[in-house]
Amino acid sequence: MTRKGKLLIHALIWIGVVTFMGIGPLGTAWAANPSDGNHRPDRMLVMAPEYPGVEIARDQDSVSMNILFHNQGRTDETVQAWVAKAPKGWTARLKSYRYTVMGIHVPEGEDKTLTFEAIRDKDLGPGTYTFEIHAKTPDKRFQMAQTIEIKVSDEEKSDKGPHGIELTTSYPVLRGPSDGKFEFSLEVDCKLDKDALFELFAKGPEEWDINFKPAYEDKYISSLRLKAGGTKTVAVVVNPPPGTEPGNYPVTVQVTSGDAKAEANLEVNLTGTYALEVGTPDGLLSLNARQGRPANMSVYVKNTGSADNNGIQFLSFKPENWKVEFTPEKLDTIKPGELKQVEVSITPYAEALVGDYSVNVNVKGEKVSKPLEFRVTVNASSSWGWIGIGIILLVVIGLVGLFRWVGRR
Amino acid sequence: MNGIRAIVRKELADHFSSYRFLILFALIAMVSLITVYMVGLNLKTELRGIAKPKFVFLLLFTSSGSLFSLVQFVAFFGPLLGLVLGFDAINRERSEGTLSKLLSQPIYRDVVINGKFLAGVITISVMMTAIVLVITGLGLKIVGVVPGVEELWRILIYLLISIVYISFWLGISLLFSILFRSIATSALAALAVWIFFSFFIPLGASVVANSQVSQTETSDVSALVQRARIVHTITLASPLELYTHAATIIDPTRKTTRSIVAMGPMERLSLSRFSGPLSLLQSLFIVIPYIVTLIAIAVICFGISYVVFMRQEIRSL
Repeated sequence: MTRKGKLLIHALIWIGVVTFMGIGPLGTAWAANPSDGNHRPDRMLVMAPEYPGVEIARDQDSVSMNILFHNQGRTDETVQAWVAKAPKGWTARLKSYRYTVMGIHVPEGEDKTLTFEAIRDKDLGPGTYTFEIHAKTPDKRFQMAQTIEIKVSDEEKSDKGPHGIELTTSYPVLRGPSDGKFEFSLEVDCKLDKDALFELFAKGPEEWDINFKPAYEDKYISSLRLKAGGTKTVAVVVNPPPGTEPGNYPVTVQVTSGDAKAEANLEVNLTGTYALEVGTPDGLLSLNARQGRPANMSVYVKNTGSADNNGIQFLSFKPENWKVEFTPEKLDTIKPGELKQVEVSITPYAEALVGDYSVNVNVKGEKVSKPLEFRVTVNASSSWGWIGIGIILLVVIGLVGLFRWVGRR
Repeated sequence: MNGIRAIVRKELADHFSSYRFLILFALIAMVSLITVYMVGLNLKTELRGIAKPKFVFLLLFTSSGSLFSLVQFVAFFGPLLGLVLGFDAINRERSEGTLSKLLSQPIYRDVVINGKFLAGVITISVMMTAIVLVITGLGLKIVGVVPGVEELWRILIYLLISIVYISFWLGISLLFSILFRSIATSALAALAVWIFFSFFIPLGASVVANSQVSQTETSDVSALVQRARIVHTITLASPLELYTHAATIIDPTRKTTRSIVAMGPMERLSLSRFSGPLSLLQSLFIVIPYIVTLIAIAVICFGISYVVFMRQEIRSL
């Protein structure tokens, strides 16, 4: 019994080991089997449209879908493909993401896609249209034909962007001075069902500098990659050339990706530049004044900008108890290039000290202000000097009189 | 004119040879020199490292070193010089009986008083000029800065003001020597007047001002200003104050003679923007009322003594 038992155990162990040794390599062989070319046919090519039938709304102009090519054989294949039949009023083509193509190379074991695109004439009525796509290998071993049905329905559907890209901007019109920088914020919404590279173009008035920039980043871009259904905000930076006349200037931004295309109409409203020049006719910024007496100064205000400047006010920063008056008190409008004169009257305090004071005048116009500093020299009144000399003269005359009257005794 | 020249020459000889004059002059010269030397030493250390300061030279006269500045010293003790020169001018001659002898000579009576006053003024001028020149020379050595033309003008005007100021006190003592027969009486009277005007009036002015403006509101600006105004008005009666105000001509950075100026923050900011010294003419305009008053009281004081002397009966005792 014990002998038999031992033998059995040995046999079982051996069987187990053998089974294990045998199954291990076998298992790995099976796992590798699908990729093993030996089990695939020598040549095998399949073509299929992504959606054999599509229904589109009346206001949708185009259909685009993928045509799939599966190479299940063990040979690389080059396929010729073309749209064999297209209904009247439709323009159909096969394309890659960039080119219209006549064929495609499909390496062994791989899948490749071409894009089928059909563009409809605008006046084409509703109905069902059938397209035929043919493909063949050059040796005619595979000849494939597929049909795609497109049903144009009667309904309108306008909530979708026309070409799979949507451009939205919250502020399509920007207003500002001519020497300003305008930054539009544009949201590019990818409605395509695949990742795509979007080219950015902008068309503005001549010599205008228009650039694209990612939001919150400081570099210029000319294209943009978006994931399917992704959204990105792009800043459109518009710099008008110097000396541009005020007015409305349209800027058109175009985003294209292959055939998908969207446009946004932006507008820049230039109001001209705001600049003022303030000074005195002779360039002198110092003046003499007497305590309690007004001193006058003529100041000119010139509009060196290209827009009208309205409501120009004058503010003064002066010592306490001093008076600074302007005639006129404010200027309503100065046209570009125009020069207006303002009389400034500065009255020092009656008990101001003798010496040099600084009086600041701020000319505050629309969006611009210009400071002007005067050096006001308060002079002592010389009248006291004359009175004093008069008193001394009187006293001396009195003394001489005394000499005459009581002298020589 | 011959007579006045003789009198002036005699008087000058008297002055310059008398012991009390020498003692007084030695005192004043010594104190002035010491004062200025101290100021000079102070200036030298204070100005070390400052690039080209303006009007350093004038600081020799106004900056108070350890005790007094020269201006303050002359203001307080200059009158003594005038008093000493004049308190016995007439009554000594009278008591010694030389006045009637003098007048028996072929000279007019007004020549006597004119000559005595003129001789006093000349003596004062010589002393003050000497002091100022010595200080200027010492300043050149100590400070090493050569004064400019404007500074020299300021020093010259200050010198004239000082001469007029001391001459006023000379006139006062001359008047007392005419009024009082006794030398001691005239000397005491002159001293009393000097002490009263130089020391009691400024003291009294602050007492009056304190009674007018309540002292509890010392932080109140308007009260302070009012107090300063009262003090200023009352002290104008004191020649010492007139002289002190007039002597601000020396300091070109002084923009007023007032000691307290109410100034708002904006005004201070505005004024500090261009903080340059005043021109000579502007400084002169500021102090001219005081100079005029000083000259006027000096001339009037002499005029009174002149009239009194001319009207007086001269008898030999």
